[in-house]
Amino acid sequence: MTRTSAQSLAIARPAIRLLTVLNALYALVIGGLLIWSFFIPDWPYRPLGFDTVNAHPMLGGGLRLIVVFGLLGAGIVHTILRRLLAIVDTVSGGDPFIIENSRRLVAIAWSVLALEVLRLIIAGIAAVVWEPGRIDAFSFAPWLAVLLLFVLAGVFAHGARMRADLEGTV
Amino acid sequence: MIVVRLDDLLYERRMTLTELAARVDITVANLSILKTGKAKAIRFSTLEAICAVLGCQPGDLLAYDPSVGSEP
Repeated sequence: MTRTSAQSLAIARPAIRLLTVLNALYALVIGGLLIWSFFIPDWPYRPLGFDTVNAHPMLGGGLRLIVVFGLLGAGIVHTILRRLLAIVDTVSGGDPFIIENSRRLVAIAWSVLALEVLRLIIAGIAAVVWEPGRIDAFSFAPWLAVLLLFVLAGVFAHGARMRADLEGTV
Repeated sequence: MIVVRLDDLLYERRMTLTELAARVDITVANLSILKTGKAKAIRFSTLEAICAVLGCQPGDLLAYDPSVGSEP
């Protein structure tokens, strides 16, 4: 193992735990704002400073829908972090090449894909009710990460098969 | 099924499994897996080390017995 990867593994667990907490806080805050929006008079025009004359008539509903999708995204991120922590634990335990890790990586890949689809949907809603280009729709890196995760899952599956072959060898 | 005659060879040489493990630099646990027929494969290096210490041939240690059922 290289020094960089050893150092990365050492900080992975606390970093993932911190991200889990931050993600939960993010979900709580935006969930709270969503509920609060139903009790604020003249929302979203007055509290967010939108022009009541030029604003889209569905602006309020559109922003609330974006928050709902944001909550869904936070849920997906939580599952990603949970699975990532489980993978890191198997590395720390000395036995990462198990078929379960391959399944976890596939699940993470699909989750990242779902997050990118959500991003496209959110960007589309924002473009209609708010301002086109307000939220970046497409970024190449996450799609590349999805591909990388599927490849890694294949690598782990192959590693698990090789490990199973070696089991019982003296 | 491949039969391992390690017990017989150790008995003939009045050697214990623990002594053999120390001399071939293989753990007692792994040698025990071999002795009880639970091993799925044996490395040539392991076979060579055991034969060198016990002064035997691989055919003295391993035999094929079709009458004994193989593990699934």
